Amino acid sequence: MASQIDHRENLLLAALPHSEWQRWMPQIEAVDLPLGLVLYESGGTLSHVYFPTTAIVSLLYVMENGASAEIAVVGNEGLVGISLFMGGETTPSRAVVQSAGKGLRIRAQVVKDEFNRAGEVLHLLLRYTQALITQMAQTAVCNRHHSLDQQLCRWLLLSLDRLQASELIMTQELIANMLGVRREGVTEAALKLQQHGLIRYSRGRITVLDRDGIEKRTCECYEVVKKEYERLLPVGVLPVRLPPVVPAA
Amino acid sequence: MTVRLNHLIELLPRKDGERLLAICEPIDLPLSEVLYRSGEPTRRVYFPIDSIISLVTPIDGRPGLEVGMVGREGMVGVHLILGVKTTTLHAVVQGAGKAWSAASVPFRRELARSPTLQRCLNRYLHVLMTQFAVSAACLRFHLIGPRLARWLLMTQDRAHAESFDMTQEFLAYMLGVRRVGITAAAGALQRAGLIEYRRGKLVVLDRRGLAAAACGCYAADRKSYSELLH
Repeated sequence: MASQIDHRENLLLAALPHSEWQRWMPQIEAVDLPLGLVLYESGGTLSHVYFPTTAIVSLLYVMENGASAEIAVVGNEGLVGISLFMGGETTPSRAVVQSAGKGLRIRAQVVKDEFNRAGEVLHLLLRYTQALITQMAQTAVCNRHHSLDQQLCRWLLLSLDRLQASELIMTQELIANMLGVRREGVTEAALKLQQHGLIRYSRGRITVLDRDGIEKRTCECYEVVKKEYERLLPVGVLPVRLPPVVPAA
Repeated sequence: MTVRLNHLIELLPRKDGERLLAICEPIDLPLSEVLYRSGEPTRRVYFPIDSIISLVTPIDGRPGLEVGMVGREGMVGVHLILGVKTTTLHAVVQGAGKAWSAASVPFRRELARSPTLQRCLNRYLHVLMTQFAVSAACLRFHLIGPRLARWLLMTQDRAHAESFDMTQEFLAYMLGVRRVGITAAAGALQRAGLIEYRRGKLVVLDRRGLAAAACGCYAADRKSYSELLH
């Protein structure tokens, strides 16, 4: 894991003022986030805060009977572990890697200290929290109001925005868990999108062929969340291409 | 008569509570008043005393449905804690009553001054966020009957009364279902002897029975609150 860390791949870290980043840098470590890895269980204690770079993490609310529904996705625009800033030592949701990739992590205590310092970082993290809360509230309503078709499109778009590619490696099982529906429902909805030439789906690989088409099909929830991120965060969730890293002297 | 306080204010050390109250005024919140609208700057925060406020996500140009409920246990306008002036949610008075209210500028000033106040409100924010998460799953999975039971319990907790006025239209709007769905669900709770519902007046007859009829989301909300704010 001693590989080069480019913190700018995470947009929150990239937005940190240089001096703040200097304080964080020695503490941060790069981690692999393989598909399906559980970063924490609901009710679990937060030992680290994660900043995805190329991975996407899904936050799920798990009910007593084990059924779960996704409440938000976090990619390179955000961080996993906001409960910490609010004085919650544990988290109400389960955090699972939904798209494999890399991320950075830092011990919870370091972030807490930084938070209590009440500098730039605090404001950035609070604004991110508001964006995430918006996503949660919108998802709650979307879960009730919109067709599975529309939800699948929303979910694809939110995921794509957080990737640097037009391809997602994903089983139908996982999508079904995220959306809180049965697998057959996902199969049917995905098939429909495929028949309309919007995606190609085979062997757990979803390739988006027509992004505009998917945007037309989705519900307003996608736009609402996206706008809120753009309003609250320095660069929204637009994928950024980074210049090559200059090795540290 | 002593004015009952808001629970968050009660949780503050006396000095911090007094400082907060010094910038607040008691106001009456009439039924259906909109405290803030999606996309408009929020000018005041509210600490309900015996009023109840619904946080509603507008959808498809319609009023939308409820994702959170705030009463004496909480605060309306939490995004101001996060340094954000507008939100995508509407805040609507669902139960008329009193609240302590402060303008956003002195509130922000007081917040910046008092780490104790920050800690307390941040914890409440966590509780509210958990309520949103619970709602996301609840809206997805649970049938109208258990959801109605949960909603009535949440309302009763905040109303401090055995009965409240409630039209079926309003319940349908809050729960995001059609009126006929409410009629059927409320009818079933009534036949089971848990509530009495007549001419817009709803009386809770058997709270324990209602809790048994509610989905687990009611208990989940209570648990997160008691863990973080006590």
